[in-house]
Amino acid sequence: MKKAGKVHKPTTTRKRLFLFILFGWLLLILGDRVGDLELYQGSFVATYALAITSIVLLTGYSGQLSLGQSALMAVGAYAGALSIFNAGWHPVVGLIMSALVAGVFGLVLGLVAARLSGPYLAGTTLALAISLPTLANQFPILGAEEGISFDVGPSPARFGEDFSQYKWFFWISALAALIMVFFIVNLLTSRYGRTFKAVRDNPVAAQLSGINVGRLKVNAFAISSGVAGLSGGLLVMLISGVSPSAFPLSLSFSLLGAAVVTGLYSLKGVILGGLVLVAIPEIADSLVSRIGGSEGFTTVLPGFIVSALLILAVVFTPNGPGHLLKKHH
Amino acid sequence: MKRATLASAIVATSAMVLSIVPAHADSTGVTATSIKLGVSTPLTGSAGLVYGKVPGAMRAYFDYINANGGVNGRKISLVIRDDKYLPTLAATQTTNLILKDKVFALVGALGTATHSKAYTAAALAKNNVPDLFINTGFSGFTNKAKYPTTFMVLPTYAMEAKVMAKVIKDNFPGQATFMIAQDDEFGSDGVAGFTTAGHKFTASPTLYPQGTMTAARAEGALTALGAIPGKPVLVLFGTTDVTATILKAAEKLELTKKFTFLAGSVGADANTLLALGVKSTTIDGIVSASFMPDAKDLTDPYVKQFIDINTKYNKGITFDNYVLAGMNSAMLTVQALRAAGKNLTRAGLISAIEAKGAKFASAGLVPLGYSATSRVGYNGYWVSQLNAKGEGKPYGGKLVIYTTDSGAGTVEVSNFVRPTMPKNGIPTNS
Repeated sequence: MKKAGKVHKPTTTRKRLFLFILFGWLLLILGDRVGDLELYQGSFVATYALAITSIVLLTGYSGQLSLGQSALMAVGAYAGALSIFNAGWHPVVGLIMSALVAGVFGLVLGLVAARLSGPYLAGTTLALAISLPTLANQFPILGAEEGISFDVGPSPARFGEDFSQYKWFFWISALAALIMVFFIVNLLTSRYGRTFKAVRDNPVAAQLSGINVGRLKVNAFAISSGVAGLSGGLLVMLISGVSPSAFPLSLSFSLLGAAVVTGLYSLKGVILGGLVLVAIPEIADSLVSRIGGSEGFTTVLPGFIVSALLILAVVFTPNGPGHLLKKHH
Repeated sequence: MKRATLASAIVATSAMVLSIVPAHADSTGVTATSIKLGVSTPLTGSAGLVYGKVPGAMRAYFDYINANGGVNGRKISLVIRDDKYLPTLAATQTTNLILKDKVFALVGALGTATHSKAYTAAALAKNNVPDLFINTGFSGFTNKAKYPTTFMVLPTYAMEAKVMAKVIKDNFPGQATFMIAQDDEFGSDGVAGFTTAGHKFTASPTLYPQGTMTAARAEGALTALGAIPGKPVLVLFGTTDVTATILKAAEKLELTKKFTFLAGSVGADANTLLALGVKSTTIDGIVSASFMPDAKDLTDPYVKQFIDINTKYNKGITFDNYVLAGMNSAMLTVQALRAAGKNLTRAGLISAIEAKGAKFASAGLVPLGYSATSRVGYNGYWVSQLNAKGEGKPYGGKLVIYTTDSGAGTVEVSNFVRPTMPKNGIPTNS
């Protein structure tokens, strides 16, 4: 009995599940005590945290660099929108389709790009991020520039009339993000997940140990794409529709920047990454209103703050604030 | 790891709690001394370069009104937020305007893909937020059931195409006609308008996704058309930067005199074309449709008044068609606020425009179409021709005003005479 306890895994998983439920419960309470604006911002935090998770999984754990996460998010967003708007499926099914279709797309892309690595893979995914939204304009079913609606509908009537659209968004995005991150954390701490790190740190040694490096990288790409796809579905839920311009190249760079700030090698900072992306424009706004300045100043300030944070993160916490916490403990 | 996970969760929760601002009581953005309005529009990026002057021009006009007593004793403030012409930002910025800035109404939002999403995301219909004088001609916004609080100011692109079709039929019979259009709801509205008018192009319209009309692509398209005999009419239904790219390609290929260029109102701002490097000799002769007077026409009392306001309240900004459009929308807004009376409510403002909007004074040379059932702003065009100075003069030397609708209605010549400008450009209506 004592020997079985030494394996730790069941206990760790249960504790982790408890922590996620506790965190979800805290969010639920918090959601009842804040205004619609904070709920809306919270929904974006959850959505971006999920997108950052996909980057951490791909880059930090499997050693592949993608500059095209926005394109994979777009694939998920369109898949979800078509499922709801055209096929008339339930929004939950629509969000599941966002993850599944983007995952399959990532699998195919991963197989095609299996021989690519480093800057070549980055270049390929960058090209994808540039071309995919433009391609979407070519198919009438995708609604061209205006795009198509992504409507999850009103909240269930039993929640009452005071249950706002923003609270409904917050519940959906927070729950989806919690479930997906829980799944990813468990995957990464499993035996299979540890092979990701082995491949990242030393592919030759990993191969000698019997790990199929190529297949593992493709699988990591597919899972990461699925996570990105779900975040894409959530993002267009928050803006009520999907269109090509909802996924600019700058989104990929912002997410990658946030992933670097919060640590590429750990999932502990992903919520912080989401908070950074949502909070920076707010901080810029309040700074400008305090010290005075034009709209143009407000516009350039977020980019300046992100750049400063990136430099500070690389210098002081190269592995992210999560690792810093661990070190102090 | 376990402690770190817990710590991470606590840090994140604490950060969220710290960022919380207690919800305030509902406010309409109106006090005894102020009215707060808002706009989400591109200030930066490629769209910002072209349209970025519009919100500043609106603010300048409001400042002028404020300096002259405001509206029923209330000063107007305008909160301007940059959405970079991106739907996600438009949704969040518009939501911020409603939930954070607590504006009374929106005015002058720009862009179809951006504003259609922002409208739903910010729950404008549910909150009955007036969405005034939006800068897009997409006919979908005329759907009152979907956009119950929206009022357009531009005529629809379909109307513009129908007027263009009539211009071609009346003035260029027998010439081959071609169209290069943006491949989205803007261009498709235009193509549909030509089809409704019964016009058939010599070849299917060339459609390009927004942002993809490169110099090489433009040269390829013009080279193919250069072999057509006669002087073909080339309809350009895109933004001004694309018109510039195509005209510069024509210069390079020495084809500027080969075509009669018929540019849509969105893509024919002379100042912008010149600023983007198009030669004045190339601009000379371009035919365009417009519903506003030319910004260089100093004989127009509205233009003259707005130039004076621009000089005093919008320092350093060159007066052009975009500044004119912004000030005109602001003047309409002031009249709408006055028409809604001293007890200003959102519902009252919407009703006032429905009841009295068609009679508002404005610089537009064509009638306004507001009514209880119509949210269309200007419902027609006049046809202009640019000269080498970039001035738009009536085509054929005589101002002819055409009115039509977005559907199957015919294009009619109108004898509309716009209302006289209020003294000093300060509305006194009620």
